[in-house]
Parts: sequence; C-alpha cells; structure tokens
Amino acid sequence: MILSGVLLAVIGLGLVGWFAARGRARLLYTGRGSMHSMPGYHGWHMALWILVPALLAWSAWSMIMPGLVDGAVMADPAAVQLPAGDMHRAAVLADARNLAANPDAVAFDPLAEELAKPMRAAQGRFSAIGALLVLIVALAGGGYGFTRVRAGFPARTHVERAILALLLIASLMAILTTFGIVASLLFEAGLFFKDVSPIAFLTGTHWAPGNARGVDIDGNFGAVPLFWGTIYIGAIIAMIVAIPLGLMSAIYLTQYASSTIRKWVKPILEILAGIPTVVYGYFAALTVAPLIRDTAASLGVANPSTESALAAGLVMGVMIIPFVSSMADDALAAVPRAMSDGSLALGATRSETIKKVLLPAALPGIVAGVMLAISRAIGETMIVVMAAGASARLSANPLASMTTVTYQIVQMLTGDQEFNSPKTLSAFALGLVLFIVTLILNIIALRVVKRFREAYE
Amino acid sequence: MTETKLTARNVDVYYGPKKAIDNVSIDIDNGIVTAFIGPSGCGKSTFLRSLNRMNDTIAGARVTGEILLDGEDIYAPSMDPVALRARVGMVFQKPNPFPKTIYENIAYGPRIHGLASSKAEMDAVIESSLTKAGLWDEVKDRLSDAGTALSGGQQQRLCIARAIAVSPEVILMDEPCSALDPIATAKIEELIDELKENYAIVIVTHSMQQAARVSQRTAFFHLGNLVEYGETSEIFTNPREEKTKDYITGRYG
Amino acid sequence: MSNNSTFSSPAFAKRLARRHAAERRFKLIGLGAIVLSLAFLALLLFIMMHNGLGGLNWNFLSGSDSTDPHTAGIWSAAKGSILTMLVTLLLSFPMGVLAAIYLEEFAPRSRWIELVEVSINNLAAVPSIIFGLLGLAVFINTLNLPRSSPLVGGLTLALMTMPVIVISGRNAIKAVPPSIRDAALAVGASKVQAVFHHVLPLALPGILTGTIIGMARALGETAPLLMIGMRAFIVTPPGGVTDPSSVLPMQIFLWSDEIDKAFVQNTSAAIIVLLVFLLVMNGLAIYLRNKFEVRW
Repeated sequence: MILSGVLLAVIGLGLVGWFAARGRARLLYTGRGSMHSMPGYHGWHMALWILVPALLAWSAWSMIMPGLVDGAVMADPAAVQLPAGDMHRAAVLADARNLAANPDAVAFDPLAEELAKPMRAAQGRFSAIGALLVLIVALAGGGYGFTRVRAGFPARTHVERAILALLLIASLMAILTTFGIVASLLFEAGLFFKDVSPIAFLTGTHWAPGNARGVDIDGNFGAVPLFWGTIYIGAIIAMIVAIPLGLMSAIYLTQYASSTIRKWVKPILEILAGIPTVVYGYFAALTVAPLIRDTAASLGVANPSTESALAAGLVMGVMIIPFVSSMADDALAAVPRAMSDGSLALGATRSETIKKVLLPAALPGIVAGVMLAISRAIGETMIVVMAAGASARLSANPLASMTTVTYQIVQMLTGDQEFNSPKTLSAFALGLVLFIVTLILNIIALRVVKRFREAYE
Repeated sequence: MTETKLTARNVDVYYGPKKAIDNVSIDIDNGIVTAFIGPSGCGKSTFLRSLNRMNDTIAGARVTGEILLDGEDIYAPSMDPVALRARVGMVFQKPNPFPKTIYENIAYGPRIHGLASSKAEMDAVIESSLTKAGLWDEVKDRLSDAGTALSGGQQQRLCIARAIAVSPEVILMDEPCSALDPIATAKIEELIDELKENYAIVIVTHSMQQAARVSQRTAFFHLGNLVEYGETSEIFTNPREEKTKDYITGRYG
Repeated sequence: MSNNSTFSSPAFAKRLARRHAAERRFKLIGLGAIVLSLAFLALLLFIMMHNGLGGLNWNFLSGSDSTDPHTAGIWSAAKGSILTMLVTLLLSFPMGVLAAIYLEEFAPRSRWIELVEVSINNLAAVPSIIFGLLGLAVFINTLNLPRSSPLVGGLTLALMTMPVIVISGRNAIKAVPPSIRDAALAVGASKVQAVFHHVLPLALPGILTGTIIGMARALGETAPLLMIGMRAFIVTPPGGVTDPSSVLPMQIFLWSDEIDKAFVQNTSAAIIVLLVFLLVMNGLAIYLRNKFEVRW
C-alpha cells in the first residue's frame, strides 16, 4: 500500500536530513567555541523537523481516511442496495474492505463483491492523496529545519526539549490508560444501567441473563450471587489456604532457615508465583476437582459436582502463597533487628519473639499484603473459569459449584454475542464493580504499606 | 566484699573466618560496675554479646573457650540460652522499646518467664522495676501510653526497667548513653550507680570519662585483645601498659 | 542468691521445657508450610510431565491446531504468542523506560505527577481481565482494529506490562548513586546527556530484569485475550500481526475444554512448552540480576 510505503520514504528522508544537517554544521565548525551545539545535534534537530510533522500528518490521515473511503463507496451506484441498518451495513462494508485488501478472500455477501471494486478504487485514490500530503509536510519540515543550521543556533537545547516532551508523553500513558479503563467501563456500564436498574443489579439475588427479556429484566440481573461466589472463593477459601501457609513460610525463611536454604527456596517460590493462571486452572480442573469430588462421594455426600468452589479456592490459595509470603517477608524485614534483639535478650524464645513482638510490629504491613492478595484473588479469572462452574447461587457449601464476577464477564463476552444487548453489556457493569473494589483495596493497602515503612525508617 | 560472678577463660570469638576476640580471660565481680573501653572495632561489644549468648543470633558467629556464670559454663550443651538470658539481662546502644504500652513493655519479660501469678503481683513488679529505673514518677499516670512516645532518655530507662523486671543477676549495657543527650546521660549514670548494689553490671562505653565516672573496674580492649584490666582508678592514673596510656591520653581512638 | 533459686526452681524448669516444646512445634509448622507449598509445585509439575511428555514430538511442536488430537500441534499458537509478545515488547519497553526516566529524573513535584504515580501503582495491581475489557472497548469497538489479532493482543498486554516496567525501571534508576550524575554534570554534560549517557546504561540491567519478568507475565496471560476474541480455532499460523491468531496459554485453555480424553496429553504437553519458555525467561532475569547487581 502506498500509505505504508510513504512511511518508509519519510524515515528515509529523516535519515537524509540527519546527514545533510550534520554535514552542513560540520562545515560551519571552525574550532572550539565556534558553535553552540555539536553537529550531531543539528542532525537530530533536522530529523525531528522532518519526522514529527510528517508522522502526525500520517496518523491524522489514517484516521480520517476510512470515513472518506466509505463516503466515496456510498456514493457509488451499487451502494443503493445497501441495507439501512447500521450494524448490517457496517458488516457488509467490512466484508468489502476485506475483499479489497485480499482479492482471493471469499465474500459472505454478493453485495460486498460488487462494492469491492469501488472500494479498491477509492482506497487507491485517497491513499495517493494522503501519501502526497505526508511527503509535502516532510519536505516542508525538512526545509525549515535546514535553514536553522547556523553557528549560533542552540540545536541541543531544542533537541533536549523534544526529548523531554517525549518522556512526558510516555509517563502520561499511565494516566491515559487509567482514564481509558474508567471511561470505557463507565460508558458501557452506563448503557447497561439504562436497561437495568443499578439497585436491582447490586442487590438482586437472582442471576439469569439468558432469561432476561422485556419487563422482568431487572429480576434476572441480580449480581449478589456473583459477588458472594467471588468473595467466598477468593477472599475466604483462598485466604484460608494462602495466609497461614504464606505467612508461616515467610516466618520460617526469614527467622529460622539457613542462608543456603533461603537461597534455594525463595527462587522456587518465585517459580510458583510465575506459573500462568491457565496452568493452575487446568490443574484444578484435571486433578484437584475430581479428587475433591471423589473424596466427598466417599464421605457420603450425595451427587457432589465436579466443579466446586473448594477446588477453585484451594488452587487459587496455592497460587497466592508466594505473594503473601513475599509481602510478609518485606513486612518482617522492615521491623528493626533491635526489636527482636530486645526480646531475645530478655530470655524470650524465637517463637515467643515472633508471636509477641515481630508479628504485632509487622501487622500493618502484613494486613496490607493480605489486602493486595485478596484484590488479586478476586480479579483472578482462569482458575474460576476452568474449575468453579457457572451456577450463580448463594450457598456456603464449599462443594457446590459456584460462579464469580470474572467468570460471568468471560461468559458474557465470549461465544454468541448480540452486541449492545444488556447481557453483553452486563460484563462491563461487572467489570466496573470489580475495578472499583480492587482499586479501593489497592489504594488502602499501598497507603498502609507506605506509612508502615516510614514508621521504621 | 565482692564475689566473682562471671569468669571468662581463653575466649575467642569468630565471625565466620574472622577472629574478633582473641584469647580473653577476665573475672567480673558482683556488686560493682565493670567498664569495657577501647577504640571502635576493638571487639568490646562483641565480647559483651558473648556473655549472654546474644552472638548465637548472628549467623556465622562462634565462641570458643569457656565463660562461667557462678561456675557454670554458659556454652555447655546443658545450658539453655533462654534461661541464661533471663539471668543475664542486656540494654542496647539505641533504646529499643517494643511498639507496645509502657506497661506491656515491662510485663513482657515476667510474663514469658511466668514470674508473676496474678495481676496484682504483676502490677507490683511493674512499679518496683520502674521505681528502680527512676522512671516511676514520670510515667505512673500514663502506663498505657506507647513506650515509643517517651523521650530518648526515658526510653532507655524503660529498657533498663524492662531488663530489671525479670530480676537478672547480671546487666550488660552496650553503650547505653551513646544516643542520648548529656542530661539524659547523667540520669542513666546515676541510675547505674544505684543499681550496682544488687547486680553485676558490665558497661561498654566509648567515653573514657563515663568509664571513670561510673565504673570500679575497667578493661581496655584493643584489636580483639584484652590489654589491661584493673581498678578504674589505677587504669586512669597509672596504666601499666603503654597502649593503655596512649589511648587514655588521647593519642589514638 | 535468691534470684538464682527462682531460675533453678522446678516450676521454672517445667515451664521452660513447655516453652521449648512450643518453640519446636512452631518451627515445625513453618517448615511444614514450606514443604507443603513446594510439594504442591512438585505435584503440579509431576502431573503435567506424566501426562504431557509422551506428546512432545516434532509433529506436535511444528503442527497447528486440529480437531484430531493426534495431528494437533502448537506452532500456530506459539507463533501467535511470538507476534503478540513482539508488539507488547516494542510498545511497553520504550514507553516504560522513558516514563521511568521522566518520573525519576525530570518530573517536578506536582499534583499531576502524583496522579501519574498513583495510577501507575494501581495499574500494576488492576486485574488483568479489566485490561481485556479496555482492549475490547477501545481497540476493537472504537478504533476498529482487527479482532483476534496479535496487534490488539499485544497492545492490550503492553498496557498491562508497562506499569511493571516503569516500577522496576524507577527502582533501577534510583539505585544509581547521585555521584554519577554529579560527575557527568561537572564535566559540562547537560542533564539529558548525564541521564542518557551515564545513568541509563548503569540502570539497564535492572530495567531489563523487570522487563523480562513483565514479559513473562504477559506471555502467560489468558483472560484479557479471551475478551478480545483470541480464542479462534486457528489452523494456519498467522502471517502477520493483523491476522487472526491464538496464543499458547489460549491453546491450553481451548484444549482443556475438549471432551476427547486424548487432548489431555496435548494440553499437558503445551503446558510443558509454556513452562519451559517461562523458566528460560525467569532464569535469564535472575542471571541478569545476579551478574549485574552492583552494590553501590
């Protein structure tokens, strides 16, 4: 495509400009102190003047071009047969676009085949216009840049200012991402709450989006069972596993283990933390869940289900152990050695020192770590998708199949989707709740950790 | 008069391969204050920490030779370091009260050792410990305040009270005044003088004036060796060794 | 000598024995906790090896997905992973490093910068599935980028990985002592020159370690990619970053859902491949950390 080719041309121009400006600056250089900036900086200054405006023009054109092309295609006589519905029309146009790019592709709609030709023509026309525009901008920028190559011109200052601008833009990406998350969740969830009352969503106890039709739509979008499932699996079962094991591991490693054991066990625990969640999920579904079911059956539980809150929570807990352990490790390490020395010198045993002095002193750090761990567990997706099940129920039976917020998000957005149906949009409402809850947990935890560290510094 | 409380015979202390104390032998008596002085890094604190086996908590630390408490070898396998440390208390360089209330700071020791069987008994231990440490009048109305809220000098006296509360026989003090201002230091020195009646007190100090003020015996350490040990008045007025003389007259240190 | 008798009384000795028993119990519990955690890891690895090693052969490594478990392979998914990671790396590494440099070296103390810091710290802890929702809403529904493609997958994962790189990058830059900057400034370098010529090279090993760890996390991610539709049944390896594609963890997820028992071997074999990749990456990170870790 011409438009991609022109990108290469612009980069080539930038290179040429770099050499040209540097060469000219070298000619001007007559000795120490004769120029404000070294020739290389003049090269960069020039290259920036070629590249930045041209790339901006290029991206602007790429953004408006599809609209222009579609407009031109709609003006084509064949387009009068296009369906009136927005969704359908967009689908046919996308099909035609695909055909235009790849003539061997198979069209799903005969109309698309007909439109492919005008589509291709319009694309060619507008690409050429765009390419020309970009080239003109590049040359104009280069021309301006070249006139700036003078002995007294502070090229380095200008280049450094551009670098700083780039750094600033990079660091603003984080805010942009946060903003993007909040905006997209709010927007899509807003569409959902047009159909379903937020109160019914947050307080209702019946979740059956499949049945949601017409008037009783509110009654089928009660998310409380999902919240319960999430808390039960992530904040209760998983924590019952992860807190004692993680905390005791950290205590053993920091207080008892020899440095050799520490050197080996810590990286192994890090491996445990680095295993992808889909692997844990598969392990839960393949090994742990059947084991729990068979054990339950042999203990006389009638019809235990294969998918259970216990299996998912258990494996999730194991996944979180290294996280809790490393947070507890940090918290214990932050307590000054003088504390434990003081206790040991009074004749306390190690364990008495740990239980009565170290742990109370490290408590804020540990609590914050547990909060971060909970925030991780409730946002965890693959384990519950693979092992927890789909039934939204309010039950305290760990052997029951139970569903969670993340499971339902996946459920609503994969498989057959009707776009913009309340069912699909509910995923964003659930995502919004999840985001807010984890955000609150994270902010509180990070603040507690910060204050805790400062207290001992 | 005095009786020997602690005896060290040919003690070496190693940190990993490094020898920090070389063949030290010394008798420490009951009822007086013994000062360890010497330039920094001379091993006086290391030696002090081997007297209640606090060196056990440092990875790689090793003690050879023998140290006897009332004739019992404290490094014998039958000696329990936990019980030993109840008998040989320690006060550290920087005040290190636990992040608990004043009351709980002092009650901690007696509680783990089971030294008070009722609340009334515990209250009595607290009051007497704080009184002995000269802190009772200052804190009696705020025993439930955090120990860390006290001033530096008060914190150090709290730490002394905490050590006294388990009724030790020996109190080891590792530069107890180095983090304190002169007024707080004077108070602690006064306190040490009062306490010596009932305990054997060993104090490590980098200040020769302090050693001269509070101690009856002084041991001078240099490069891991015990150079000279004797009556404080003798050491400061008429040292036998040239090195001691150089140190106390300020030639090095 | 009254004291001595307190500590040698039978009651005290009995109490001491009880306390030592408690000490041993406590220590044993700690050891048990570690052994249990490690045993779980060993069990997981053993089961995957047991089920999967038999399925690891050249056909499996070079083949593409298929409905027949005996001809199905992972190359198409692996290639999808490689393309996706490439996009992620190309975006998140420069962005993350530049942001780290700005925040650590140039940022003025202002409300805005504080907001940036808070949002980076929070983004690092936002559930990955939320990034998937962002990718779906922004890249697919708004920008109309091709669904199921490594491009969108890579973009989504880049947003997720960037905060990790920024945080580790800042720590690495912070660890370079100020004396290095002073030395460069003292010979007449500008602040930008001091940072790019002296501080950045010294901080690079630390930044790379953080980047590899972030990339390893991205390589294992499944949930956000489910949101953007990278669960297609792909029989031909993707030719470029805009072709529909799958990734390794997604292939594991898809096979794990198959009814045919023969897919258990495929799933486990794919897990072994993925874990080997991750082990190599993490090993590299640990190696870099140990080799270049300088204590200033």
